[in-house]
Amino acid sequence: MSFRALAAPVAAVIMSIAVTTAADAADKTLKVGFVGVTSGPAAAWGTSNVRSMQTLAAIWNEKGGVKIGDDTYKIDIVTFDDQKDPKRSIAGMEKMAQEGIHYVVGPNVDDGAAAVRPVAEKAGIIYFPYAFPKTLYVKPASNAVLGMVANYQSAPAIYKYLKDKRGVNSIAFVAANESDPLSQRDGGVATAKALGLKILAATDTYQNDTQDFTPVLTPIVKLKPDLLVLSGVAPANAPLLIRSARELGFKGLISTETAQDAKVLQEGAGDLANGFISVGGASTPAIRSNAMDEFIARYTKMFGEYNDESNTKVYALEYIVDTLKADPKAINDIAEFKKEMDVFSAPNPFVKSGTLHYVGMTSFGQKRQIAVPLVVQEFENGNFKTLFVADVD
Amino acid sequence: MEQVIVNGLYLGAQYALIALGLTLIFALMNVLNFAHGQMYVIGGFLVYEIYGRMHWPFVVALFAAAATLAVIGGLLERFLFRTVIRRSLREESTMLLAAGVAYFLDAAILLLFGEKQHGVPKIVRGVFVSDNLIIPYDRVLVACLAILFIVAFVLMMQFTKPGRAMRAMAQDRVAAQLMGVPVEFYSLVGFALGAMLAGLVGGLLVTITGVNSGIGGPISIKAFTMVMIGGAGVVGGAILGGFILGMLESVGLSVLHSYGDITYLAIFVSLLIFLSIRPNGLMGKPWG
Amino acid sequence: MRPTAQALFAAVFAFVLLVIVPWAIRVTHHDDFYYTLSSVALLAIASGGVWLTFYIGRINIGQGAYALIGGYASAIFVVKAGLSFWIAMPLAGVVCALVSVAIGLPILRLRGVYFAMVTLVLTEVARLSALALPITNGAMGITEIPPPGPLGLFGFNLLPSFASFANRNQAFYFLCVVMMMLCFAALYRLVNSRVGRLFAALRQNEDLASSMGLNVPALRVLAYAISSFLGGVGGAIFAAIAQSVYPSSFTVADSINFMLNCFLGGLGYVFGPMLGTLVLYFGWDLLFQAGQYQLLIYSGVMIILMLVLPNGLLSLRFSRKKGA
Repeated sequence: MSFRALAAPVAAVIMSIAVTTAADAADKTLKVGFVGVTSGPAAAWGTSNVRSMQTLAAIWNEKGGVKIGDDTYKIDIVTFDDQKDPKRSIAGMEKMAQEGIHYVVGPNVDDGAAAVRPVAEKAGIIYFPYAFPKTLYVKPASNAVLGMVANYQSAPAIYKYLKDKRGVNSIAFVAANESDPLSQRDGGVATAKALGLKILAATDTYQNDTQDFTPVLTPIVKLKPDLLVLSGVAPANAPLLIRSARELGFKGLISTETAQDAKVLQEGAGDLANGFISVGGASTPAIRSNAMDEFIARYTKMFGEYNDESNTKVYALEYIVDTLKADPKAINDIAEFKKEMDVFSAPNPFVKSGTLHYVGMTSFGQKRQIAVPLVVQEFENGNFKTLFVADVD
Repeated sequence: MEQVIVNGLYLGAQYALIALGLTLIFALMNVLNFAHGQMYVIGGFLVYEIYGRMHWPFVVALFAAAATLAVIGGLLERFLFRTVIRRSLREESTMLLAAGVAYFLDAAILLLFGEKQHGVPKIVRGVFVSDNLIIPYDRVLVACLAILFIVAFVLMMQFTKPGRAMRAMAQDRVAAQLMGVPVEFYSLVGFALGAMLAGLVGGLLVTITGVNSGIGGPISIKAFTMVMIGGAGVVGGAILGGFILGMLESVGLSVLHSYGDITYLAIFVSLLIFLSIRPNGLMGKPWG
Repeated sequence: MRPTAQALFAAVFAFVLLVIVPWAIRVTHHDDFYYTLSSVALLAIASGGVWLTFYIGRINIGQGAYALIGGYASAIFVVKAGLSFWIAMPLAGVVCALVSVAIGLPILRLRGVYFAMVTLVLTEVARLSALALPITNGAMGITEIPPPGPLGLFGFNLLPSFASFANRNQAFYFLCVVMMMLCFAALYRLVNSRVGRLFAALRQNEDLASSMGLNVPALRVLAYAISSFLGGVGGAIFAAIAQSVYPSSFTVADSINFMLNCFLGGLGYVFGPMLGTLVLYFGWDLLFQAGQYQLLIYSGVMIILMLVLPNGLLSLRFSRKKGA
């Protein structure tokens, strides 16, 4: 509880420091990289990353930059579109190394994150993938920091909540036949098994480019599960799946363990998406801070429309910069950064109360994950409503 | 089972319409139009902007999408494809051009319309429900419209002068030219018509499936598959291929449900085997 | 070209790639070029295979399948069977060649766009198989593949283990470039041999070639097997560089790119795919600065190139000789 009391004043102090230093000449530049997908069918994933980073950097730079140690830095975001191709991801990471960048956000998918690992370890780059394979984060790997909550961390909380509060007994899974969704599905199935849920369908897949999901869902809806899990669903596909399931007369709950966008759901499925359960960061008005409101406003101004996925994606850059502030030597020395990760703690500017710190001891045996509030939310008439908030350790 | 059949028929109607434009362009000019899916996406986004955001009537939006794509198609033929076909030693070279156009349109769509999935309000509300069958009315309407467009197109090809001219060109371009068919003009018309069909179906389907900037490539590949099943360059083949693929997906997904992960693998492998046995699809021209 | 001119050309080419380029990279401190150029070399090898299928008159959009099979084969040989990379790599090529014989016998009867589309489907089949088969480790892919070990021949140690190199990318660069030169030298020899002329005959008219007593199906499968072998080798080395292979390591987009590389370089020239790959890959990389306009400019330039040089980049140089 003391955090709650402390958070606001501490945040205010940091703000005022930032403002006062604005007067100083910010002659240095800190480059932070992004390697991920910003074109093609999965463009939304990387785009929400890039835009979060650019928005945050714009806010900071306007205030004169960020003060790390004795120097003030302008933040420069260097982006690389890997087209979701692991071969390009490697090239992107090489490019970051060439630019002398030590901190990179991305890649967005499993194969890319695995492919860049040799480069990152050789070049001394800490990267923040949005990919769940544990091998990336457990020893001997040490340069990857998971940028969100993994589904094997969120699924137990969600399923348990739905089992206890909504009387869910049977469950069915459907996933795109690609690496990430299939891995997530397998994780979800294991979780459901552990909770004693009855698994009605666990092997149904669809091609990621499917436009009409009615044929895919027809056999599953017939089984009448209490809960239909859309494992690792792409934001573009979620409304289509929901709409098809509901139009086929599906009455149970639908959930996913990845972040979604409210407007996309509203446009694609309308009222049919009501009750859809997903995971978000500092999204709902109930928990977000003024700084988050400012971020959303700025983002909307810069890019036309906000993307709710950025609620989670905004964190990576904040963590990088705040960790550097805590240990300025880490700017050019990632060993310092790794040391700092074990002890780092700072107020979380995006929620009304909470701290930024690294987690992952339970899942990975070392602190290689950023702590993001695990907000489980329900879609209702165009907005997300918080069901519960949990922590990951 | 009724549900599965109806799903297949509905899917087939929309697939057939997608495949028509592709096969028309291929028949007339031997160009495999990689940008077909991107044209579909543009059609979808135009309807989204006009009907979904400006709230003009759906028919107007659909008409505008079709007209815009016809113009784009005409321009592409006149200034790009015609030149390259004339200058190139091997006619496959147009594939590179088509791929370049596809990438270009992809980039333009991404810049213009953003990376998000978009959808429009339903054109008709309500769902038909009986014991074995559930089908939303908007799907019924879209399927009917798709079939209407297909019939209109076939009648046009069969009984009008441009239709006859284009069929003649598809059979033998040189002979058609010798018979006094202005082949250059009809290439332009055919390309515009093919693009228009892509835009039309994109605009139609945005009401059901929505649209996003990345689906162009996958749509093209799906259209290739249908054309391949039916036989390239034949209008009847495209329609048949569309319906077969629709059925295959619908029935295949239901029947193979218990095999789970390998459903699509099985569908594609059977496609490979089918084509090895019938190298020109069901009704394709032997020269491919 | 006369033999002496050929030898001179090859020597100059090798000198540029093995001496001048590394020197330039050292001087400019552009270490990331090692990876970029390695990529180009590997993609060029796979594209060279596609080019050979073009040479017998087939549009091949399925090379991604063989690159993927090659990547998996070598990964499985190294990780599960414990073979040395230096054996696994050619073996992966052989596996691809064998697979391509089995698949090629029926599908090579197809022509034109039908063959093109079947091969396109093949890429997707390979990806889905990689997801479904137990030996490929399904969706998890095969990760943490050890880097190539030492290369020995008759007890001599030709190369130390890649893990011992301070600059591993440089080592991979030399490997890739040497492999590329070997593959293209072999392709050049092949095309200018008797078999090569038979291949060309297939492209002109298969029926006629058949009536002249050629065993057309065998020749077609031979060309396709060589093509797939090259794809497999390219994929195998890629898996070694990335130290991982996933079902999505090579996809339909790669298959299409391999084909485009051939078109851009020029279908009439053995070295076309090499140039095409270099231009397409580097074109994309150079536009890195263009940010969100990267794809727009890239594709725009591609269209213009196609308008100006529809027969490939190399047609610029040869146009006078071939002049119609």
